[in-house]
Amino acid sequence: MSGLGHGAGSEPSPAPAWVRGVHVASRITGVFAAGLILLSVGVICQMVFVRAVLGQSSIWQTEFVTFAIVGATFLGAPYILLTRGHVAVDVVPLMVGMAARRRMMVAGHLVMLVFCGCFLWASVPWWWEAFHTGQTTASIWRVEVWIPYLAVPVGLALLCLQALADLAQVLGRRDLPFGLKEEDRL
Amino acid sequence: MTNWLLSLSPLTVGMLIFIVTCAVLALGLPIAFALGAVALLFMVAFEGLNSLHFVPETIYAGLSDFTLVSLPMFVIMGAAVASSRAGSDLYEVLSRWLHRVPGSLVISNIGACALFSSLTGSSPATCAAIGKMGIPEMRRRGYDADLATGAIAAGGTLGILIPPSITMILYGIASETSIGRLFIAGIIPGLLLTGLFMAWSLFLSWKRGTRLVDSERIYSLKEKLELMPRLLPFIAVIVGVVYALYGGIATPSEAAGVGAMLCLVMVVVIYRVWRPADLWAILRDGLRESGMLLMIIGTSILFGYMMSSLQVTQSVAQAIAEMQVNKWLVLAAINLLLLVAGMFLPPAAIILMTTPILMPVITAAGFDPIWFGVILTINMELGLITPPVGLNLFVINSITPDVRLPTILKGAFPFMMCMVVAIVILCVFPELATWLPQKLMG
Repeated sequence: MSGLGHGAGSEPSPAPAWVRGVHVASRITGVFAAGLILLSVGVICQMVFVRAVLGQSSIWQTEFVTFAIVGATFLGAPYILLTRGHVAVDVVPLMVGMAARRRMMVAGHLVMLVFCGCFLWASVPWWWEAFHTGQTTASIWRVEVWIPYLAVPVGLALLCLQALADLAQVLGRRDLPFGLKEEDRL
Repeated sequence: MTNWLLSLSPLTVGMLIFIVTCAVLALGLPIAFALGAVALLFMVAFEGLNSLHFVPETIYAGLSDFTLVSLPMFVIMGAAVASSRAGSDLYEVLSRWLHRVPGSLVISNIGACALFSSLTGSSPATCAAIGKMGIPEMRRRGYDADLATGAIAAGGTLGILIPPSITMILYGIASETSIGRLFIAGIIPGLLLTGLFMAWSLFLSWKRGTRLVDSERIYSLKEKLELMPRLLPFIAVIVGVVYALYGGIATPSEAAGVGAMLCLVMVVVIYRVWRPADLWAILRDGLRESGMLLMIIGTSILFGYMMSSLQVTQSVAQAIAEMQVNKWLVLAAINLLLLVAGMFLPPAAIILMTTPILMPVITAAGFDPIWFGVILTINMELGLITPPVGLNLFVINSITPDVRLPTILKGAFPFMMCMVVAIVILCVFPELATWLPQKLMG
């Protein structure tokens, strides 16, 4: 743990309340996203049954599943970031010392925040237009698209907060950059 | 600033994009966001701030493709099977039947990897599921650490060649080729590679004179048969998915959904994986892998849009086509490029970034896109066992922390050569990849 604390042997201080709050929110949306994937498995099987066994045509299932999976991608992204599931090229961080790793992590997260922030900024009017105009899909189901679109700004907002929380943890010496220990070397 | 940028040729812009992408990726931030950030930077630099409005629409429209639904479904299928004792059962059945064969245990492990690959589309999952049981057992019974670890590292790569394959789904989407055909095209090359791996293991065991600690043990027919029923659930799932896919009942996404449900039912009913924590672990792993992949796909779509709107894709493809070099030299160069990229990047990122550029080159050279999908997949397999970012090497390393990475690499190297041999064989006999899809699907 010496890599975390300010002094040798010191325990890292607990995470601030807002960081803990963001972690809880990321976990909640993560569970919701996993639930969407499970629901999609069930809906696909129902669709195959309806079409292949009952000989009826499917109406809403294809769109529902597609929207559910895209929704799970955005709503699950903060949880995946929290659990370090987003794959990265960590060759250079593994070659440098702890101080350089910390600087690289900060720089990388800033780049990520710029991208996610711009994406979020652009997604709000995009979602609002769909909501305001009552835009629907072209299928028989005619679902209002603002409902599935909502996953994008919500997921991205939480993703930005999760990235900020990760930064705060590393800058506050409560977490290791990239989760790599001092002895983790290439 | 913008005027200066606009005066650059598309090829120079392409070079700039390449340098910036490498620099941003080197920072160690998630690949998905690195690709998105580079795409955004170049879009804003060349087309102004207004281009920001294309970001949500482009990414959402790209991801709203029912074909992509097959990804999380196959991932859940693999996660469910990997969470159970299914891998151990497969391995145990094969090792009893092949006990008297020289190098039997390694061959059983490679065979188990190949069979497990037909239930999952992921290499690290195959590697972990078979390796957890197989590597300690092989070492306990007298195999050298290099052969034991190298065989599993390589055997695990079969996960993305033998259908279902997540790599082939991504290639199918990026190249707009039939995923069903790609899956079938991977069968014979997958068996060929399995055969080459087994042949090498047999040769090495014979050359080293490896004697197993229980080589005198003889399994009776009863002992061999009593474990066979454990294979039935696997066969039921494989038959169910294949029937749904090729019986004209379901699309790849639907077949994957049925497969995911069958695997979930199998692990709950047969393997008694029903504690909420165990079921959550399956869903969590499924979410983590598929969410990560889909986010990379989403930002790769934006990256591709940026490259195309800046005319980079078209210019690079045209420049390669105008070189007028021998098509096999082009293929060798592409293989080298994929191999080097595979050393640093995961297959998903490589396929989604390079396919839009490579596809026109491949078709202009007269190569079959389905056949190239198989060649590309074997290249991606090679990348999974080459340092510094060989995902399978890390999986093996976590299973056997006492075996050093150079030992694993030493063991894996001959298997890498088997993959190169497989690529050469497929270049000489492309029918090995194209005959079966042609025969079955017309």
